[in-house]
Amino acid sequence: MILINLISLSLLYYLKKSSGAREFPEHLHRYFKYGMIAAGVLIALGIVHAPPEILFELLSFVLVGAVVYLMLNTPELSYLKTLAITPLPIIGVRLLEYVIKTLSPAIFDIVENYLDAAGVFAFIWAVTMWLNHRKQMKEIEIERIITKEQERQLRTTEEQKNQLETLVAERTKEILSQKEELQYALDHLRSTQEQLIQQEKLASLGQLTAGIAHEIKNPLNFVNNFSELSVDFLQEISEEMPKIPDSPEKENILDLLENVKSNLGKIRHHGSRADSIVRSMLMHSRGGSGTMDPTDLNALIREYSNLAFHGMRANPNPINVDIQLSLDETLPKVKLNAEDFSRVILNLLKNAFDAMRDKLATAGSDYKARVEVRTQDLGDKVLVEVEDNGPGVPDHIKDKLLMPFFTTKKGTEGTGLGLSITHDIVNSHEGTLEISTEEGKFTRFTILLPKR
Amino acid sequence: MKILIVDDEQDVEIMFLQKFRKEIKSKRLEVSFAFSGEQALAMLGNSGSPDVVYVFSDINMPGMSGLELLSAIKSRFPHILVSMISAYGDRDNYNRAISSGAKGFFTKPVDFDSLKIEIAELLTNQ
Repeated sequence: MILINLISLSLLYYLKKSSGAREFPEHLHRYFKYGMIAAGVLIALGIVHAPPEILFELLSFVLVGAVVYLMLNTPELSYLKTLAITPLPIIGVRLLEYVIKTLSPAIFDIVENYLDAAGVFAFIWAVTMWLNHRKQMKEIEIERIITKEQERQLRTTEEQKNQLETLVAERTKEILSQKEELQYALDHLRSTQEQLIQQEKLASLGQLTAGIAHEIKNPLNFVNNFSELSVDFLQEISEEMPKIPDSPEKENILDLLENVKSNLGKIRHHGSRADSIVRSMLMHSRGGSGTMDPTDLNALIREYSNLAFHGMRANPNPINVDIQLSLDETLPKVKLNAEDFSRVILNLLKNAFDAMRDKLATAGSDYKARVEVRTQDLGDKVLVEVEDNGPGVPDHIKDKLLMPFFTTKKGTEGTGLGLSITHDIVNSHEGTLEISTEEGKFTRFTILLPKR
Repeated sequence: MKILIVDDEQDVEIMFLQKFRKEIKSKRLEVSFAFSGEQALAMLGNSGSPDVVYVFSDINMPGMSGLELLSAIKSRFPHILVSMISAYGDRDNYNRAISSGAKGFFTKPVDFDSLKIEIAELLTNQ
């Protein structure tokens, strides 16, 4: 009886122990616990031979049967089938012994030897099955380790994959931002290229202009000189005329001479107009001539903005304008061709006056014409700005402003050379000239000169 | 008094003749013309000891330039006065002319009033 309970106990103990490696449901644990307690109690009862022995023996068989039944019929324990059937022959022999001994002790005496032999066989069976079970367990264990290893490798691969993906994502992001940077640089290059082409065009236009001026200058000189001479001669003729006696022919001659005189006056007038244009055009080729001397830019601006203002006031259609000078008094002397650069100030102010005159004609009475001239020390550069609150420049003509002969002024008012020459002069100082404007609000010319 | 005008533009002759019509008519001034530097030198050389006292020369001419002519005249006839007339009144030309011994430097279009003053000075000095 003790043997049967020991089998129950060791089976249950084995089950409980192996539950560490595998997760068993909660109720199985309860069964193991109660089963072990029952086995322990039955062992104790067996040792002390407590009556009624026959009942306890029966209970022992019921317990071990229940344990084997549990092992065979629980899906979670199906891998322990070999172990479950290991003690079966021993239990069978013992059960047979118990039944025969209980029913008829006489027969038990007769078959005792056979039963002993069966017991031995049952023991051998049990040992064989036990070894078999051990082998199976080992195989299962190896399989489990292999699966675990595979799982581990799978996890590692997964991790590596994830790492690679993160890396790829990072690189993609980097490449994208690099692409954006490159795109920006490309756009920048394009606009610079366009600016360069524009500058080149303006420069060649300026050269062309100067070339044309040179070619025109000589014949124009003749026109002017000869018309001047002819006016002088006419003067002499009219001094001689009183000496001739009056006659209808003389009347006619005097009349015609008067016409010729007036015609020559027109030739002279338009000739000098052409001459002033030609002289402006020649300014385009002046780059390089004249000397660059350290100049007090603020003083130059003060002097020439004053001159521009009074020049404008003395000419037809003067306007009231408020000229503000915001000059940086810390400005050092700048290397300039003062004669050329004074023309820049004059041109820009004249341009502002003309623009604001147009606005004064159309805007309401509360519009106050105002122009501001600024200088500022920017470290390696010097800033000169001329800003008016005139009508601004429409977008479609902004690009043309610096071209020679481009003018918005009517009739004979402008030559279209002022800003073109201004641009040339700034260029010859290795500076830049930029225009920013808002229609109806302001126009600002920004000049940046290198300090050198 | 005789002056020589050197310019490759032929109409300059007519212009000068008209401009100094009175002086020429009254024989106080004699004006001759050359249309190149070479021609001017030839004219000066032919007359042995030239009676020309003043040469006005253009600078930009085909062949010999006015500045070359200036040095040639100054080396051969140091007593003849030479002034330059140029459309290019730049510092470079001016400096070269003056350092080569030019008396004056006139820019085109010629201011005949100042030219007349220059010549009148010569006439009174005579």
